[in-house]
Amino acid sequence: MTLFSILILGTLILVLAIRLLADSENRRRRPTVTADEYANAREALDSVFVETAVIKRIFSVEDAEFVARYATPDVKCSFFSERKKLALHWFRRTRKQVARLMDLHLRLAAYTYDPSPGFELRLTAKYLTFVALSNIVLLVLWLLGPFKAARSISYAIRTAGSFCTTFSVRLERVNPTRLSGRKSLVH
Amino acid sequence: MNVIASGGKAQRAFPFIFYDSLVLGSLSTAMETHVIWWVGTSLVAVILIRGALVGHLRTYPLFYSYIGCVLLKEIVGLLSYRFAPSFYRPLYWSTELATIVASYAVIVEIFKQSLRHTPGIARKTQKLFIAAFALTVSFAATDLLHGRFATASRAIAEVGRDLRYIEGALLLVMLWLFVRYRILLGPNLLGLIIGYSFWVGLNVVNFALLFLPGNEFSALPRRLAPITYVATLTIWCIALWSSRPEPVQPTEGAIERDYDLLAAKTRSVLVRTSDRLVRVMRP
Repeated sequence: MTLFSILILGTLILVLAIRLLADSENRRRRPTVTADEYANAREALDSVFVETAVIKRIFSVEDAEFVARYATPDVKCSFFSERKKLALHWFRRTRKQVARLMDLHLRLAAYTYDPSPGFELRLTAKYLTFVALSNIVLLVLWLLGPFKAARSISYAIRTAGSFCTTFSVRLERVNPTRLSGRKSLVH
Repeated sequence: MNVIASGGKAQRAFPFIFYDSLVLGSLSTAMETHVIWWVGTSLVAVILIRGALVGHLRTYPLFYSYIGCVLLKEIVGLLSYRFAPSFYRPLYWSTELATIVASYAVIVEIFKQSLRHTPGIARKTQKLFIAAFALTVSFAATDLLHGRFATASRAIAEVGRDLRYIEGALLLVMLWLFVRYRILLGPNLLGLIIGYSFWVGLNVVNFALLFLPGNEFSALPRRLAPITYVATLTIWCIALWSSRPEPVQPTEGAIERDYDLLAAKTRSVLVRTSDRLVRVMRP
């Protein structure tokens, strides 16, 4: 082994140990995954899309064109600034909820009898791609505002869709017989 | 930690550096290493005594066996140096290797304790451990059988180094699993893991520096090792001073049920989410 890889090995051990220590308090506060916690997470994710029409309005090019045409410079400035803030807030919130679902998935996967390392790696890769892309989109949103950044966001959505597809493949592996005789899936 | 005979010179390392210092001079270094040795050995004894008093010996038998090994090694080494100096060097080497092998007991203890509620991950990790162990043994045996080492001490030093690297790699995998799957750990076990990671992590870096050509006598890694040793023992001493309750784990049935419910629901939630995102963002 080269000196460099050994140094990396030692450093990673120390970094992960520090991370473990930092996370321990958080884990102690939320020790187990429960149906209630999940229900809250689902509600939180749903709440991001409660008013789909309103959210669509944030990115509406018609509004931007109308304001650009008829509004005074002050109003224009205020409008673009407000839309940018709203877009950033909404996008951050969506990302946070997806991250929470990922967290729930991992905590649950730890307790399963047959976790699949291959799938977990693919899921991680997809999730990291999503995180990286969403960071880029956030930057673009921050720099250009919601209207000009629409294309970038569409691309991020496609990646998120791919991530969700992988997630659903994982969930298809759930043995249906285990579900029988248990609580209803419908809350 | 290690002794390397290189280029006809012998390099002794902690905890017996102080013997060299006493013989070769440098009173301040002698004092420093003397203090470190006594502090370290006292801490080992304290950990063992406290373990017996608070009942950790039964909870973490492998870890305390390792601690017992370390204490025994220190005492035997000291006695040998005082009363039979000619046996000191061969004894040092054999006990050094035995201690490194015994330190694997700590990783097995961590594995046993932390993953006992997560059978799926435990099974996968066990397979990985067996594969790594087989690889390590065959690698070390090949090296020893080919006898390409100049001296026995050099051979043991290099085998010890390789064992530490493998130990480091195994620990890295375990830490990654703990962080990734948010494995619940009690305060005692967490302290044990943190101390062990600190020790192995810095040791791996230290070994890398020591085995760097021309760096065998570097002062930094030689000074770093004893300080790391005492710091690790201090972490263990604090973490295992009293028996703290383990986090409450859900019953086996509840875990299974929760997962299945969540899994089935999450699929629908995520599919719905992706649909909504696309709908919202589509011009």
